[in-house]
Amino acid sequence: MTLVSEGLVGDVFLALVGAFILTAIVAMYRVIQGPTTQDRVIGVNAVGTTTVLIIALIAAVFDQPAFLDIAIVYALLNFLMSIAISKFTVERGGVL
Amino acid sequence: MSLLAWSAVALVVVGLFFTIVAAVGLIRLPDLYTRAHATSKADTLGTLLTLAGVAVVFQSGVPRIKLGLLAVFMLITTPTATHAITRAAHDQGIAPWVLGGDEE
Amino acid sequence: MSGTSGPRILVPVGDSVTLRNTVAYAVRELTEASEDGSVHFVFPTHWQTRQLDEEAAEAAEELLDRIQTWVREDLDLEPDEEVPMSVTTALIATEEYLFSYRDYADSLVEYAREHDLDHIVFDPEYNPDGQGPLLSPIEAELDRLDDITYETAPVEREIRGRQLLTGGINIGTFLGTFVLSFLFYQFLGGFSGTFDYATGAISAGIVAAVLSGITFSGDFRPLRALRTIGRLLVYFPFLLWEIAKANLQVAYIVLHPSLPIDPSVERIRPAVPIGLPVTLLANSITLTPGTVTIDIRDREFYVHAFSQSSRDGLYDGDLERWVRFVFFGRGGFRIASLRERGQADESADDQESPPATEEADSV
Repeated sequence: MTLVSEGLVGDVFLALVGAFILTAIVAMYRVIQGPTTQDRVIGVNAVGTTTVLIIALIAAVFDQPAFLDIAIVYALLNFLMSIAISKFTVERGGVL
Repeated sequence: MSLLAWSAVALVVVGLFFTIVAAVGLIRLPDLYTRAHATSKADTLGTLLTLAGVAVVFQSGVPRIKLGLLAVFMLITTPTATHAITRAAHDQGIAPWVLGGDEE
Repeated sequence: MSGTSGPRILVPVGDSVTLRNTVAYAVRELTEASEDGSVHFVFPTHWQTRQLDEEAAEAAEELLDRIQTWVREDLDLEPDEEVPMSVTTALIATEEYLFSYRDYADSLVEYAREHDLDHIVFDPEYNPDGQGPLLSPIEAELDRLDDITYETAPVEREIRGRQLLTGGINIGTFLGTFVLSFLFYQFLGGFSGTFDYATGAISAGIVAAVLSGITFSGDFRPLRALRTIGRLLVYFPFLLWEIAKANLQVAYIVLHPSLPIDPSVERIRPAVPIGLPVTLLANSITLTPGTVTIDIRDREFYVHAFSQSSRDGLYDGDLERWVRFVFFGRGGFRIASLRERGQADESADDQESPPATEEADSV
């Protein structure tokens, strides 16, 4: 029993998911445009954060709490991606 | 729709607003470091608010705990990732944009 | 400088895995020399340790006592026999800031000159306050001096991998890791029955057995951790409020047609101990109005500030006070702010700055 069964909330959330997706596409501009590697990484990081939110919203819309696990794993991967790229663009061991 | 449902939608909408601010900042701001401001702050608040909205929708404990974990995790990792990225840039000697620097 | 008698050795000590062997090496150096020599074991510590953390101060004293015992062991002395050479242990630099490599090197050199010592023996794993590899920068400082030589004690380094499994399992850290991983497992699994409890216990057991050695820095002290977490909960609303303000500011700037920004890179030296407090402070700075921590070197924060008002906020040092409060209680509030400590303008003449930031500082 969740609020989604009230019907409208699910629809509104789906519309919001659409808006989040558009936002992520806007952020992709920075990923494509650069100019530096770090600009792209920040862009990918922002897109990744938005993706986590989208997954969480979808979990609410379809009433699937298991999707939240995917969101957590995705957040973890997103973080690791930023750290790993930062580490490897700097040629001295250990960024953190 | 009930008041609870409205509050959930309101939280997500405000979250969406800050996520949009982060995206616009990412496009408009002049250099990497200022863009990092936009993503680290606006994205964090956007995330917290959106996850809070989702937590309102789920009316049982376990998903809320997971959302709480996710929120804490994002709260810790977003600034850390930003720090790692800007530090990498700083190490490579990418100079910060300064006011009036464009004319030189 | 005398240098006429036997070896006169200075050994900076701190908690490290190779400390025991380093002490043995220093003592061996002394006994092999024909003439009388002396060795000083010094524990460089910084003012906060004494001011804020009595436990750490006691631990330092204890470490020095332990070294005295080790020296007696190495010399095979009877309990009532006198130590034949001069062995001194001391805490140094207790009233000063010890923030950078140069500060460490300076205080060592000062001590060496004062006590007429001409040779410094480093413990290869010497790592004050967990600052990370510190030896090469200190050695670079000492290279500039003619009258003092140094070496790194030729002792076996522990391989980190061994600590993971065979380093001896400490019950406190083992239980701490076990409980934390078990709870995490159950949170993810939703406390859903016997099967989950069993698999959770097995997984947590494996995690704790393998990783308990590196999960906590130092001993796991539940009471202290609980108190810190309690104060963290007090700090949290303040941080959330700051985050909200920061976001409104960012929203205003980003959506303003003319982008009213005046960015610069500031260098500050906050008075918080290295480790978790620095991490919390750096992340808090990043989350609050107009400032992002870019880099931390030698305890110096490179902070990118959006505008003049955010620079002012940074130097007021509210966050710094709060972070000290979280880790040390109310005493943390009483230390002066960055501006009062005269940090606001000091950064400009630091020679170690990379070219990128010098440019920014001149603006």
